[in-house]
Amino acid sequence: MATVRRTARALMYSTRARQVFTVPEYLAPSTIFHQQCSRFHNTGAPTPPHSTQIPANEDAPSSSSTSSEKPQTSKTPSQPFTKAQSDFLSSALRVNQAGELAATLIYTAQTPPIVRAHPHLRPLMKHMYDQEAGHLTYFNSLLAKHRIRPTAMYPVWQVAATALGWGTAIMGREVAMACTEAVETEIGEHYNEQVRVLLDWADKMEARGEGLGEELTQMIGKLRRIRDEELEHLDHAVEHDAKEAKPYEVLTNVIRGGCRTAIWISEKV
Amino acid sequence: MSTAPRLSTPVLRSLRIFSRRAVYWGQRSCYHSYEHPQPPPFPPAESAILSAALSHVPNHGFTSTALKLGAQDAGYLDVSTNLLPRGVFDLVNYHLVTQRLALRHAVQFPAEGQPGRPGVGAKVRALTLARLRANGPILHRWQEALAIMAQPSYVPASLAELARLADEIWFLAGDTTVDFNWYTKRASLSAIYSASEVYMTQDTSANYVETEQFLDTRLADVMRMGSMLSGVGQWVDYTGHSAVNVLRSKGVRI
Repeated sequence: MATVRRTARALMYSTRARQVFTVPEYLAPSTIFHQQCSRFHNTGAPTPPHSTQIPANEDAPSSSSTSSEKPQTSKTPSQPFTKAQSDFLSSALRVNQAGELAATLIYTAQTPPIVRAHPHLRPLMKHMYDQEAGHLTYFNSLLAKHRIRPTAMYPVWQVAATALGWGTAIMGREVAMACTEAVETEIGEHYNEQVRVLLDWADKMEARGEGLGEELTQMIGKLRRIRDEELEHLDHAVEHDAKEAKPYEVLTNVIRGGCRTAIWISEKV
Repeated sequence: MSTAPRLSTPVLRSLRIFSRRAVYWGQRSCYHSYEHPQPPPFPPAESAILSAALSHVPNHGFTSTALKLGAQDAGYLDVSTNLLPRGVFDLVNYHLVTQRLALRHAVQFPAEGQPGRPGVGAKVRALTLARLRANGPILHRWQEALAIMAQPSYVPASLAELARLADEIWFLAGDTTVDFNWYTKRASLSAIYSASEVYMTQDTSANYVETEQFLDTRLADVMRMGSMLSGVGQWVDYTGHSAVNVLRSKGVRI
């Protein structure tokens, strides 16, 4: 994961990016838009890593690119989704909503104890919470729009996430940050997997001569941006001594295992 | 001899009917795309037979006779109805699915922002009532259909279709709940709808006024129950938060 992030960073900030491009398409950061426009087109000034103000046009990443080359969005899909595709989309979005719900609750529960002990962390906690709340709103609207069933474990995840956030915050700043690190690592990998699958569909549909459609193109852009913000939280956690947490290995492995189980369950029910 | 060519057409068509059944999974409630085309709910041949059979239901009921007459009307052999895997239940199911999908066009609400736009509750009532009234033409045969749906092997499919109807009504009413209330709303509407449907089979009033009153009473019950439960939930939430905050203000490290 760290290598991936470093490579992605290198791509974003290095002027020699054109020569070093070796990472797979789906790992490219959200500021780099592929296929629709030139691969290294940047949507504005490079964002400094610690104050990510979301650009206003993030909904339509391709709109800022040269309008002459938009091969995908102009064509619409002609075939219905297969059952596997439809199942993938509904379970993926269901998991994403559950994940963002848990993330907002973890930060909500962590904030009071952490801020009391370390008042200087207040802006950071607020920043991370605000981003997660934005993600949750996005996935809530997607679920309502596309008529996807929310997970039946909703109340369970609410209780579990609050308990996890509160429990780690009580154990101290390092443990809370280790919790953030573990959760965001899992969730980052999860989003990467989704982007990879969607790009795979895009390739196949292009081979058939049809476009992916506006819906999914926008969704890929959003997923990439959300993935990048989650990985940014991971960086913040590491910067704030997540690795100093006392039983570091045990903690992160337990939390990551818990995340994977929750993802697996939410995909099913 | 001259009958052979005339027969061969229905025979061949009957043989071809269900060769592509697997494609038609579109009745499931899954990711609903606005760009990708929606597959039709039934294969064309099945649709032709069943819709023709449905017109015989008022006279012959939900029976294999209606199915056979429908197959004849659509130009298939009588025997081709044996290819419907669930027999008469497929006829009932066809009615349920087509009426559910017709709901979208049957009830039109004023567009967003216009005066007199009903709230979600009023829309749910209007949609439920419209769906109940759609049973009107075959109401005298509807108890047969209920009996078929209650057969143990068809109960799961019937309940699934009921759940899809409740989902359709909440979706068309513009409800955007995506927390656990998603489940409670659909469950309570399913219960109300099935109770009203059974009540309607006994209703002899003009234009089903009594069914309408029955439905209104049930909806009001659920509404009262829901507001009571949410009141309790808010109280528990508030008390819990206050308790934690009081403890924090006393210096307890939580």
